[in-house]
Amino acid sequence: MNVWELIIQQPLTNVLIVISHAFGGSFGAAIIILTIVVNLALLPLTLSQIKSSKKMMELQPKLAELQKKYAKDRQKLAQEQMKLYKESGVKLQGCMLGMIIQMPVWFALYQSIMLALAAVPEGLLNLSRFLYSWPVVFSAIPMNPYFLGMDLASPNIVLAILVGVFMWVQQKMSTMPTADPQQQSQSSMMLWMMPLLFTFMSLTFPAGLALYWVVNSLFRIALQYRITGWGTLFKRAAKPGAEPEKKHLKFEQPPQEETKQTIVDKNGEIIITDKESLKKSQKKGFLDRFFKGGNNGQQDQ
Amino acid sequence: MKLKLLKRIGLAALVVTALIMIAVFGFGCVSGLSAIGWSGGAVHNDVLYVGSMEGRLAAINLIDESRQWAEYLKVQSSGGLLGCSSMLSCGGDTSRVPIYGTPVVTDEQIFVAGYNGKIYAYNTINLAQRWVFPRDTYLSPFVGGLFYDDNELYVGCSDGFVYCLNATTGELLSSYQTEDKIWGTPTVADGVVYIGSFDKNIYALNAGDLTLKWKYAIEGSIIAEPLVSNGIVYVGSFDNKLYALNAEAGTLKWTYEAKNWFWTQPVIVNDTLYAGCLDGFIYALNPATGAVVKVFGEEDIAVISAFASQPAVEGNYVVFASKDGIVYRIDTTTQELKVLAVLTGSITGPLTVYNGIVYFQTQDIAIQRVDIESGALLLSISLISG
Repeated sequence: MNVWELIIQQPLTNVLIVISHAFGGSFGAAIIILTIVVNLALLPLTLSQIKSSKKMMELQPKLAELQKKYAKDRQKLAQEQMKLYKESGVKLQGCMLGMIIQMPVWFALYQSIMLALAAVPEGLLNLSRFLYSWPVVFSAIPMNPYFLGMDLASPNIVLAILVGVFMWVQQKMSTMPTADPQQQSQSSMMLWMMPLLFTFMSLTFPAGLALYWVVNSLFRIALQYRITGWGTLFKRAAKPGAEPEKKHLKFEQPPQEETKQTIVDKNGEIIITDKESLKKSQKKGFLDRFFKGGNNGQQDQ
Repeated sequence: MKLKLLKRIGLAALVVTALIMIAVFGFGCVSGLSAIGWSGGAVHNDVLYVGSMEGRLAAINLIDESRQWAEYLKVQSSGGLLGCSSMLSCGGDTSRVPIYGTPVVTDEQIFVAGYNGKIYAYNTINLAQRWVFPRDTYLSPFVGGLFYDDNELYVGCSDGFVYCLNATTGELLSSYQTEDKIWGTPTVADGVVYIGSFDKNIYALNAGDLTLKWKYAIEGSIIAEPLVSNGIVYVGSFDNKLYALNAEAGTLKWTYEAKNWFWTQPVIVNDTLYAGCLDGFIYALNPATGAVVKVFGEEDIAVISAFASQPAVEGNYVVFASKDGIVYRIDTTTQELKVLAVLTGSITGPLTVYNGIVYFQTQDIAIQRVDIESGALLLSISLISG
């Protein structure tokens, strides 16, 4: 057994089996729980990654301005961009480092799921060398691959579609809006390519892996929503060549006495608001309450 | 400037490391994801019959080494989505049917069970197909082998059923359902079929009508083929224990606990039971009491790999092969363990002995041959049909 197997794969596989045993032999429940636990363990890294992305998103108008200003001087543009990142506290290395550290963990989790599923005889034979000498582990093998009527050891079309949908939502939420046609086409390609690739993989791999991808995507969607809101999910992409984040709005003075409303809150303080804002806040209130943190980062346009 | 350069180099190194890790650990297949097969060989009239890893029955004349092949076993076309069968995994070949069970040979016919959920019967003379069961549909994969007794074939299936077929016609005579998959091979002795299931029971069924005689619940699943000798059924389990049960009543006589699963059938030679275990030891036990005679791999030769292959007996010798490719010989008269040959590949399939030579299939789709007396590694015989 190599170092990778000894330190990462073996403990994860045994934990997966023990969780499954604790939940009455439900391997599906074990996948869901372990995916959430690993996501929680990696939360600091993921949060810092999402926050960095959010900051990057906020910097887009300024970056576009710089691109326009220094369109002919690439070196100066790079210098100014780095200066802007530095001033805004964006750490590109930190963002990448987070991804690099997380990747092996995700792969280990994927490998443990595939290993514990032992869908083929060779897999079962191979699994034997990863097991700790705990009686609970030995008696739990082979795992029951059925979960909610699905055979997690075989491909499942429902889970495969869910993988694609949730991955698309997650990608869409975290896509940075840009006016650069080249970048826009790249992000647009990634937006579709990754979900399609994973859907195809889900159609060929055991459904246990698809379940892991679905839970993982849902966790990331929830996290992304908490930090940045729905991001670009419900926004249309800017037309290539259009100036980013610049809107020409015509303001008309509304009749104050009709739209404004006075509310007295619990502390007895008087809050003056307008009806539109009140309606908006009431509409999105249930989602904010659901995620408990609310839509901290979303800015009303 | 130097600091910047160092930072860039550091970042580049990190990216390269990440890419290597992704390549090695991520996209590299988890070992044991592909169904390949590990069929052993059966010898009849100087011809060795084996289910090749190409997914077809091969017949090797051991005198002149001429070979012939039967038709490829057919993949179930509706086995998965987008034409992918359930046996597909990364790197897996969709057009090949793995064969795990060792073929069974009679004077006229050879029988083989495929991972595609079908059982095939061929003529011994020209390997022409005589019948297939079921004729039009596919059952769940067959992992265990067949047992022939009195013109009847017995086999356990991944659908949890034990089937009894007429060997001449392939007609289904009877079946018995257990509560989980069956990946083990049955044994028939004195009109009783013994078979283990993943439902953690060992079953004794009356041969022919497959009615339940008794069943014995244990703590682990069973893949090993039971051994019946002197009215005792010996079977290993995933609870790390080897069980000895009274064949008539299904009561426990003794158990022996090791450190990992018992994957294969034990053998009894010179009143001693030899059982290879996945913990890397071979246990020599008293078959009547379960008392330890000797544990091979503890003192004389340190064995570091699992024993997953069915051992073979030749005279006073028992031949074992470990998963890391080492072939061992135990002299049962002196209880001496000797390394016979060291191969580079893995050995997981059953061993077959014929005329002082042990035969086994390796993953390079070839039959390896080792002389049991001298330990000489003879030239391998390719099973690639071309």
